[in-house]
Amino acid sequence: MRALLLLWSLAPLLWQLYSSLVTPEALVDPQAVAAGGFWTLSNYRQLLEADPPFWRHLFNSTVVGAVSTALTLALAIPCAYGLQQQRGSLRFATVLALLAAAIFPTVLLFLPLLQLARSLGLGNQLLALSLPYIALNLPLAVLLLRAAFADLPADLEDAARLEGLHQTARLRHVLLPLLAPALGSTAILVFLFSWNEYPVALTWISRLELLTLPPAIARIAGSSLFTVPYGAFAAATVLGSLPLLLAVLVFQRSIVNGLTQGAVKG
Amino acid sequence: MSTMPSATTGQPFPASGPAQAGGEELRLLGIGRRVAERPLLQELTLTVAPGECLALLGPSGCGKTTTLRLLAGLDPVSQGRILLGNDDITEQPPGSRRVAMVFQSYALYPHLSVLGNLELGLRLRGVPAREREQRIGATLELLQLSELRQRRPAQLSGGQRQRVALARALLRQPRLVLLDEPMSNLDAQLREELRPELRRLLCGNGPPVLYVTHDQQEAIGMADRLAILQNGRLQQVGTARELYERPVNRFVACFLGRPAINLLPQEGGRQLALRPEHLRPSQGEGLAARLLRREWWGAQQLCWLETSRGPLRMLLPSGQQLPDSLQVCWERRDELWFGADGERLEGVW
Repeated sequence: MRALLLLWSLAPLLWQLYSSLVTPEALVDPQAVAAGGFWTLSNYRQLLEADPPFWRHLFNSTVVGAVSTALTLALAIPCAYGLQQQRGSLRFATVLALLAAAIFPTVLLFLPLLQLARSLGLGNQLLALSLPYIALNLPLAVLLLRAAFADLPADLEDAARLEGLHQTARLRHVLLPLLAPALGSTAILVFLFSWNEYPVALTWISRLELLTLPPAIARIAGSSLFTVPYGAFAAATVLGSLPLLLAVLVFQRSIVNGLTQGAVKG
Repeated sequence: MSTMPSATTGQPFPASGPAQAGGEELRLLGIGRRVAERPLLQELTLTVAPGECLALLGPSGCGKTTTLRLLAGLDPVSQGRILLGNDDITEQPPGSRRVAMVFQSYALYPHLSVLGNLELGLRLRGVPAREREQRIGATLELLQLSELRQRRPAQLSGGQRQRVALARALLRQPRLVLLDEPMSNLDAQLREELRPELRRLLCGNGPPVLYVTHDQQEAIGMADRLAILQNGRLQQVGTARELYERPVNRFVACFLGRPAINLLPQEGGRQLALRPEHLRPSQGEGLAARLLRREWWGAQQLCWLETSRGPLRMLLPSGQQLPDSLQVCWERRDELWFGADGERLEGVW
């Protein structure tokens, strides 16, 4: 059963890996290719020798993702903490509003956002992408972190208050260390969103060297109009997934903890 | 499971400021709290002397913990004033009241070691490192926690956690000590062992101590005086003996004492209350009764009787034999009478 599930989830990834490592001919008709012409690194070479080279897009995505994640958390932590301090109907109404914002389909927003970017002169500026990313992620981040705050025993903060710790000190030294798993999982979710985001990145950025991964991958072209460069797509996907895979492997325990937190109460 | 230090040599309030000398009197002047028009505590007026331990006792939801939270400043009072010595602390934020509180859950910081738990408050209040080290060292010594200083709370037993919570509270150099059911998470035997130690550490030498519990034995064992609360109202305050022998109303009479007091309904809605230990069997005179069941309690036996005026519980030495049909009598001076409103009536006979 487990093996079946693993196969179900891993098969597309493995197929990508395989496709990225073989020649186009081998991909189309494996039987017809001679042994020497089967495996190749040319797909990767094509990406890295392109202008601008592929690592440039990796770098762009990393920068935008890191900045968006850091700023989202910086805003979401005080919001969630403040929201948790509220009592009764105000909190409920706020949570509902946040939920509504969190589930609003992003696709409907990219045209208005493009208008905004035009009138504010935000086009073709890499870090300007962080603005919509933060705005789009903030509701979910606040909701997740509020649930995490709600799970902390209230006595802990009361004890810290009695010890004379001010609000920021209580957050910094008592509450946030205990929220590390929730913070980790929220950070991963925000980073993933920013890493995978396509419509806003496509419409806000037109200069090639500023493209983030998803629009950059979409722009990979074959040698002629009629060639679909499957191999290069696959190689780009593999390269684009690696940093995330590594990050998830490092943080996986805290992600699982964080995602199940608040499931029971809050 | 280790216990509190049995030979307490040091004082738990060392090198404290002048405010500490002798401690201060705590006065509650008609404090109350209501939430959404629902009163949690009404017009509580009490005085606790320096060094005195007062137990707040009552069924759950009676306002005990509410009172502690008001005194700590964790919740705002709706009415009344809180005076500590010469200061009105009613409006003071909790951080500047110098109140030590031990929570029922102990509220230890789970991510910090014992040392970290004790140090955090001192460090963030700007106590210099030398003084910190010295005070923490002394407190660890006093509570026999020195060997556990590197442990996390999760690695400690219930009794050890309680001592760490106590140590953290004492490091505050408190003007007032609040204990919210500090023993409810410990097993019965440990509770009994800890009682005298806790008393020796906390009571009698400095700040007033308020001790919340729903366990009357614990309250009687710990406290100099008891205050009994019900539905947010103070019923009676006094020594355990005063409350036991002269309860102001039926609630206090029924709440204190196990096995519970007997209530015999009388004409006019009045009730005659008799402690089980005040009843004895007699020949010829008294209330006719039938023996239903006997419970053996070691030195004593509890006899369940049925009479024409209702069931009775009678406490006798365990050796004593009883016939199935008997008469029960008591001394008139042991009678307690309560009116239809539940208040005690004086001089009925």
